Amino acid sequence: MDRIRELVNLIHSLAPKDKKLKIMNVCGSHEHTITYSGLRSLMPKNIELVPGPGCPVCVCSESDIINAINLSKRDDVILATYGDMLRVPTKVGSIRSSGGNYLMVSAPHEVLKVALENPQKKVVFFSVGFETTTAPTAALLEMGVPDNLFILTSQKLTPEIMEVLVNDSEVGVDAFVAPGHVSAIVGSKAWEIFPKNYGIPTVVAGFEPENLLLAIVKILYQIKKGKAELENVYKGVVKPEGNRRAQELIYKYFYKTSVNWRGIGYIPDSGLELKEEYGYLDAKKVFNLPEIKEEKVPGCICHEIVLGKSYPTDCKLFKKVCTPRNPKGPCMVSHEGACNIWYRFS
Amino acid sequence: MCVGVPMKVVEINYPMALAEAKGVKRRISLMLLPEGEVKVGDYVMVHVGNAIEKIDQKEAEEIWKALEEVIEAMEGGS
Ligand code: SF4
Repeated sequence: MDRIRELVNLIHSLAPKDKKLKIMNVCGSHEHTITYSGLRSLMPKNIELVPGPGCPVCVCSESDIINAINLSKRDDVILATYGDMLRVPTKVGSIRSSGGNYLMVSAPHEVLKVALENPQKKVVFFSVGFETTTAPTAALLEMGVPDNLFILTSQKLTPEIMEVLVNDSEVGVDAFVAPGHVSAIVGSKAWEIFPKNYGIPTVVAGFEPENLLLAIVKILYQIKKGKAELENVYKGVVKPEGNRRAQELIYKYFYKTSVNWRGIGYIPDSGLELKEEYGYLDAKKVFNLPEIKEEKVPGCICHEIVLGKSYPTDCKLFKKVCTPRNPKGPCMVSHEGACNIWYRFS
Repeated sequence: MCVGVPMKVVEINYPMALAEAKGVKRRISLMLLPEGEVKVGDYVMVHVGNAIEKIDQKEAEEIWKALEEVIEAMEGGS
């Protein structure tokens, strides 16, 4: 506790007196710590801690979810996915409310057993997430999968969406707290472009309140010195080059391409699809899945929250109509969604 | 689904392993780390059932201490 007080005092003494600073985190777990530990209230008035695109569930395209729902309604299919995905609302309901053949898994390799035990069914793993879930899906493929197992991919890339953010003047990010575990995969070097090309101080942090505060201190030191550098305060887990084997496996099976971010649209090179030679595993190809036109949820500003342009409290539906029990938009569903986190802890 | 949890490896049958955290055992995959890099007794950071990095015991314990609160809150939450 003393250490926390010490860091908070340091933040107050280092904070510039004359200007506002927007420090963005791009990780649901960071946002969780910030909100749950009340770090926002400990900050000087002119320092804003903004949640960014740290919630894969929140940006998973509606088209992919509706395709998953339609697959789960087929008699010959079992759809397996992470628990967070089951309740995400779309214009046709959620995977769970549709009542099809779905199954929750907490690790990709769990679908192997499902496929082996159900040889008469086609098992589709709906693989959603950023690098921390892409690598495990690549690991599953590397293990070798039975003929009746297919992958419906909705994988997105963190550094790429952050670059979109810094180019958007409306967002105006002054510094990044880079996500610890995504960094464990891609390496802290992946964020080098932000200080180098955009002059944005970037610090890789873990998930303890103390570690996050330390990252903010480092950022403020840099700003005070008029510098922009890449620093890493989560060295016990994150190496500069990241997990090489994980990177190799990801790009053995996937290639970078333009993908659809819910409410935001297609962004070039911001996601991953299975390579041509693995087309036989690709549920989009095997089941000939169409691109379904997205419909915005009336009133939901989740897409703006994800980009750091609005806060959950700016949404008229927040807490009144939209709650974790009855989520109207994707940001209220996942424990990594800003609306869900703010609902529970603030 | 993005919460990383440190676990102790108690049995290895590469690429699979049995790992433990706070008395809970779970089958995890070591596929993302080269064969032989992780030994029984080592600590790893686990994401959706996959060890993504080897970490030392001190780091694991520190993260656990902080995570305990968070996980409790998450499970207690809706
Ligand atoms: S409170 Fe609900 S409706 Fe409003 S932005 Fe968040 S998820 Fe969307």
